[in-house]
Amino acid sequence: MSKRKQTEPRSGSDSEAVRERRRSALWPALGWSTVACSLLLLLGFVWALRDTWHPSAGLALSQPSAPPVATGGGWADKPQLLVAALGDSLTRGTGDETGDGYVKAAVNSLQKTLGKPVKLINNLAVNGLTAAQLVDRLDQKGFQESIAQADLVLMTIGGNDLFQIAQNGGSVAFGGDVSPELLKEKLPGAEPLLDRIFAKLRKINPYARIVYVGLYNPFYDVTAARSISETVLEWNDYAHRLATADGNMTVVPTYDLFESNGTAYLSSDHFHPNDKGYQRIAVRIVQALQ
Amino acid sequence: MANLLALIHNETIKVWKKKRFAVIVLVLLVLIPVFVYAQMKVAQNNAAKFKDWRAEVQQRITDNTNALSSDRIPEEWKKWRRALVQQLQYYLDHDVNPDTPNAVTFTTSFLENAVTLFIPLMVLAVGSDLVSSERTAGTIKMLLTRPVRRWRILFSKTATLTLYVSLIVVTATAMCYAISGIAFGYEGWGVPVFVGFSLKGADMNTANVHAISQGVFLLMEMGLVWFSALVVAYIALMVSVLVRSTAASLTTMMAAVISGMILSNMASSWHSAKYLFNVNLDLTVYLQGTPPPIEGMTLGFSLAVLVAWGASALAVAFAVFTKQDMIQ
Repeated sequence: MSKRKQTEPRSGSDSEAVRERRRSALWPALGWSTVACSLLLLLGFVWALRDTWHPSAGLALSQPSAPPVATGGGWADKPQLLVAALGDSLTRGTGDETGDGYVKAAVNSLQKTLGKPVKLINNLAVNGLTAAQLVDRLDQKGFQESIAQADLVLMTIGGNDLFQIAQNGGSVAFGGDVSPELLKEKLPGAEPLLDRIFAKLRKINPYARIVYVGLYNPFYDVTAARSISETVLEWNDYAHRLATADGNMTVVPTYDLFESNGTAYLSSDHFHPNDKGYQRIAVRIVQALQ
Repeated sequence: MANLLALIHNETIKVWKKKRFAVIVLVLLVLIPVFVYAQMKVAQNNAAKFKDWRAEVQQRITDNTNALSSDRIPEEWKKWRRALVQQLQYYLDHDVNPDTPNAVTFTTSFLENAVTLFIPLMVLAVGSDLVSSERTAGTIKMLLTRPVRRWRILFSKTATLTLYVSLIVVTATAMCYAISGIAFGYEGWGVPVFVGFSLKGADMNTANVHAISQGVFLLMEMGLVWFSALVVAYIALMVSVLVRSTAASLTTMMAAVISGMILSNMASSWHSAKYLFNVNLDLTVYLQGTPPPIEGMTLGFSLAVLVAWGASALAVAFAVFTKQDMIQ
């Protein structure tokens, strides 16, 4: 290899002089550019330290643009429907192995029945959310923006207030720590919160159709806990009265779905529905909206 | 002085002729398009799913809040997520998009991800054989028989290394910007970024939060990345003096850098690990306001640790190099 190189030193225009000139140009170019890079990085480094230890006033931000707001009018005239979902683990879809929950199922089937795009803006549901926490969250900007744009709001709430399920998605041993009497005691405290939630939703969005998915008794098969259903029905009845007063709100009943053969539609925690249970809830919602 | 400059000149040209820098550029040319493509797919996927960026940020907040409610998630991850939720909420409240799709955003996130492993590895390509290769090739004898003092030789090598580290960081950033701009567009220098978040217990302290432009943010990140890259380079130089073969020196340094990355992910309960240089490499977390790998670490602390390691590495390298027998 090296021998061959020596025998043809002047191939083409690459004469010794040109090569020499190129070699002498390399050092100034390399030297200056690396020094320039070093100075630039040093500037960045010093700037980072100064900004961390002596924060400046910072950039002035432009005024936030007003977020889009839903308009009234019939669904038939709209090119697409926007949906916001909020509430607790039921809206989240906890217990569904597919992870979809009733929200995605309802949105998909609504799209088919209405024959126009139905888009879920956000699923804002949080596992373990109580009615009081939802009241607070409705003051958050992100919640308000999503809800304000929606034509349809799907929601569940109240289950955690009445059943006081552990925050981690619930692992209730068959009715062991849920006594019908305790549930009854919680009812008067929780009811006004539902009223406040509905009122806040209406204030954020005067036009959206609100679908409240009612509670069910997951312990119907446990004889000692069967009377929980009384309280659940009382709660649903209260929600229904609020909905009627509003006029553009629907309470979708679900209690009957989990009575005769309830465990077939509940997930392994014996509290949340499984995928079949969520499917049945979704069917109910679409029926109510058709 | 002229003597030193001539030595640096010589060393710089030597590294260049060994095509070390060309290899680095080649690696970047192959890898950056891969990252850009992956990021583009994610962006397209999100654009199809979400109505606008506000809905996307709100969904991220809700999803992370849900993860927080699970008992199965380790406490450190929860801390990280809690900080993220509060940060995103701050962005949403001030109507600023934290992830505008453009080349500058992509480049800053590339630097944040590259600082612990990718940049150090590229630095090692130059630093690890600066001295040991002279030994392997036998040229060290020729170098040392010249009437030049040994410390001057090592000093010129250190200076050259510093210059090349700067060149690598700037080149990586520039190439990342140039390539990702094809997919995401070249604007985005003036987009506001919030800095100054600090963690107080479980809560994010937003008292010092202020907006800076993304261009300034990128420059700051480059500076911090450069600093940790320099420390890696100096430690590599020391190893290159101590260990006689290039392969051994490269392996040692790679093991150190990689173990640092693993440690920062799992050593949060081993508190004295924070004195290791390799868990302190990611200085950009302090700028972003994400919780550091181990509790109690601050920018000042990490800088002090890195300076201590870098300075002692140089001290050892000079002490050994000037006294060492060069018998092979």
